[in-house]
Amino acid sequence: MNIQYKKGVIELCVLSMLAKEDRYGYDISETISQKIDISDGTVYPILRKLKGDGLVTTYVRETSGGPPRIYYRMTDLGRKLYRSDRGEWLDFVETVKMMLEAE
Amino acid sequence: MKRNEFIVILTKRLNEQNVGDIDEIIAEYEAHFAYKLADGYTEEEIAIKLGDPDELACQFVAVERPKKHDIGRGLLVTGLVFADFFTGLFFILLAAWTMVIIGFAFASAAIGVAYLIELNPYGILPPMPYWVGAVFAASLLALAVLSLAGSLYFGLYVKQLLKAYGRFHHNRLAVSAGKPVLPSLRAYPKLKPRENRLFRKVVLGSLTIFALCFVLGYIVASITAGTPGFWHAWNWFV
Repeated sequence: MNIQYKKGVIELCVLSMLAKEDRYGYDISETISQKIDISDGTVYPILRKLKGDGLVTTYVRETSGGPPRIYYRMTDLGRKLYRSDRGEWLDFVETVKMMLEAE
Repeated sequence: MKRNEFIVILTKRLNEQNVGDIDEIIAEYEAHFAYKLADGYTEEEIAIKLGDPDELACQFVAVERPKKHDIGRGLLVTGLVFADFFTGLFFILLAAWTMVIIGFAFASAAIGVAYLIELNPYGILPPMPYWVGAVFAASLLALAVLSLAGSLYFGLYVKQLLKAYGRFHHNRLAVSAGKPVLPSLRAYPKLKPRENRLFRKVVLGSLTIFALCFVLGYIVASITAGTPGFWHAWNWFV
């Protein structure tokens, strides 16, 4: 599938993960790349964008034995946007599915 | 490609493109290498799976917000203070105009009521037969309703404009501080459909009554006085 298609969707997937709990970058990247075929590095620019747009904030947590983890936490703005985008996306997918299956 | 090479290229490209807070970006990729190495992957494998660092740098550039601190914060604040001062004056003027229209509405209503109950303190109102006065009174009362509705809408308009300006003010400061920008607000008030219909009805109704009664009053006055210049017949300006 076209990479541009995927990027917009991945943003929504990242938001859905963060809506449940705070996650760190590598964790998000791994979860996404296990399910969707993209290069591992692609998630980080997306996280950066979400932060720049004020949808998430970051905080650092030290771990024993590993590198410090940059955790991402959803802001109220992010939550609001995610809720509306989620609904829009599900409606959209439903419509596309109906149109494609009608062939 | 080895880990060092990957990081060096990425850092260099991000630097060239003026991307902010590069350390955090690099920290993420460093961490990625560390986790994958611990899982037994080689540096080359990890670099390949991450993707081309040049291309990744471009993706960061693409999502970067427009560069902040273009003008100094001091200059921005000075500019905003001036803008606030002049828009402040402007808003005082708009608010004062709303007051004037409200005053006008009450004056119209008072004169209308005075003609209806035949009250003419100190003889300040031009004399006319009761029924002529009553028709003009209806016109004046409709004018009062019309101006009151107008001043209400105008007041809402000024309030919304003030809010929109406040948001603009907030966002300029947020941009200069690198904080997220809130969506701008519309510059006109939005009534609920029901309020909108009611407002429209009141405005159209009062405008019609005002215009009809004004013309009717003129006609009735002319007939009663026997001349179109009825003010002469009733010695208004003597």
